[in-house]
Amino acid sequence: MSKYEELINRSKWLRNEVFEMVVRQGKGHIPSSFSCVEIIVALFYGKLLKHSSSNPNDPNRDRIFISKGHASPVLYPVLADRGYFSKKELGKFTGKDNLLRFYADPSIPGIEAITGSLGHGFGIAAGHSFVSKKENRDFNSFVLLGDGECYEGSNWETAMFASHHKLDNLIVIVDRNKLCILDETENCVRLGSLENKFQAFDFDTVSVDAHSYEEVVPALESAVSNKNGRPKAIIAESVKGKGISFMEGRHEWHNRMPNLDQVNQARNELQLNCIER
Amino acid sequence: MSALPRDVFIDCVYRAALEDPNIIFISADFGAKALDQFRENIPDQFVHIGISEQNMIDFAAGLSQNGKNVFVYAMAPFVTLRCFEQIKVTLASMKLPVTILGVGAGYSYDDAGPTHYATEDLSSMRSLGGIEIFSPSDTSAVEYAAKLCVEKPKLRYVRLDRKHLPDIYSGSSDEALTKGIGCVRKGKEIAVLSNGYMIPKVIESTAFMEVSPSIYDVFQMKPMSANSFQESLKDYDVLVTVEEHFLTGGLGSAVAELVSDNRLNKPLLRIGIEDEYILNNGGRDHIHELAKIDPQSIANKIKRYVS
Repeated sequence: MSKYEELINRSKWLRNEVFEMVVRQGKGHIPSSFSCVEIIVALFYGKLLKHSSSNPNDPNRDRIFISKGHASPVLYPVLADRGYFSKKELGKFTGKDNLLRFYADPSIPGIEAITGSLGHGFGIAAGHSFVSKKENRDFNSFVLLGDGECYEGSNWETAMFASHHKLDNLIVIVDRNKLCILDETENCVRLGSLENKFQAFDFDTVSVDAHSYEEVVPALESAVSNKNGRPKAIIAESVKGKGISFMEGRHEWHNRMPNLDQVNQARNELQLNCIER
Repeated sequence: MSALPRDVFIDCVYRAALEDPNIIFISADFGAKALDQFRENIPDQFVHIGISEQNMIDFAAGLSQNGKNVFVYAMAPFVTLRCFEQIKVTLASMKLPVTILGVGAGYSYDDAGPTHYATEDLSSMRSLGGIEIFSPSDTSAVEYAAKLCVEKPKLRYVRLDRKHLPDIYSGSSDEALTKGIGCVRKGKEIAVLSNGYMIPKVIESTAFMEVSPSIYDVFQMKPMSANSFQESLKDYDVLVTVEEHFLTGGLGSAVAELVSDNRLNKPLLRIGIEDEYILNNGGRDHIHELAKIDPQSIANKIKRYVS
């Protein structure tokens, strides 16, 4: 039995929660949420994040920014489970006047910044990490970037700034699912080796299998503990839509909703553990 | 010679920052004499972000979320337009109280051409929700705006001229400035509304007129107080706006909206830059002639409109 058994079960739970929440409303991005499930679970259930819903504004809490805002739904079940708001809210995702929106913003407890437009979370996180460093506040900022989001030039402005200011408390995780909306990233405009690119910006960089806790957890642990004056980048090689066979690796599913047959098929598949033990 | 607007503003921020470690000043590789002592004496409160306005705004948002009173600083066209979406998304939509300080109103950088002209900064910034806009016309108004930003942080855009400004308000109380509109010259029948560098140009233009208009300085462009306007302008037959900015969305548009929305029922002539970028040399006065916002053109346009 894997030492990550509990996290693996959490993966299954989270994919099911996100799927039901999104399909019920017919709104939301399933594949983009599914490619980063293990990263989110590792952060929130792998003893990596310092945070507590009983003190959500604790100035020393760790910050997490889902800069690829279309994956906002992946956070909602986790935040509800960790007590930031009632689980009943999940059933009212995107509902009129309700708390949980298509794209997250700070009016939702546990959300640090508005996202949805790409290329902002990294810079905002750098601001938080800068304050943490200057004031010896000892908190980390985690940023989940989409690989398609890396086309936005603002990220590279921030990357240069972060290494210059030795923001070793800034941890970027790139969800490298290799797809944007219209095509594969390498057919669209080649991203090439993001590992090399972040390395060139003086980040401590490592590539991992995004769906293996054996790789994701140690990479995050090392990023958190290694205060060597260098910001961190974890390139998480993922599969967009991981867990639903007909969505996996298919760009056309970016914001499409499954029909009734497909919903049933997906539900069956989501009862299985889609990641290896 | 009085200090440059940017030095007046930054000096005010500097004096407050000496007492308040939460004040952080960020520059995108843009300087000022007053900034030298800031950098020298309180380096921990100054960040040189590099020539990267997009990162500057998002970074400022992160600082602001941690309770810092943040000032971002660059040439006016770059600090507004290059990072417009950053301002919209991270500052405006999250209601973060950051001061955007831009130098180079209108054709300030006369030799530099359209890349350095700020001729659509006001319309862009005006279009955002929850932002206050100041376009000060003299040193006292610059100080007033700076004090406001230091003491009552809010999302604001402050548009400063590159050049020296004449004295209009010295000796006036801050309370007089809270109206956002000041009378520069008392005349009759026609009220000319302007701000910044154009105030002295409007004064010059009266030499070419047979009429004797009043001149008002609208240094606070958003929000504009309908009451202050109504009170100041009720006795005039004709209103005229003069601006070093495209006619779409700037001061003239703002006044037109106010006149229309409040049924002020007064004819309004808008003088500003028409629908074209000017690529030429010869200094700011010459560019104004080409754009037909020089004193003679202002007088001619008013004459045509009222006759």
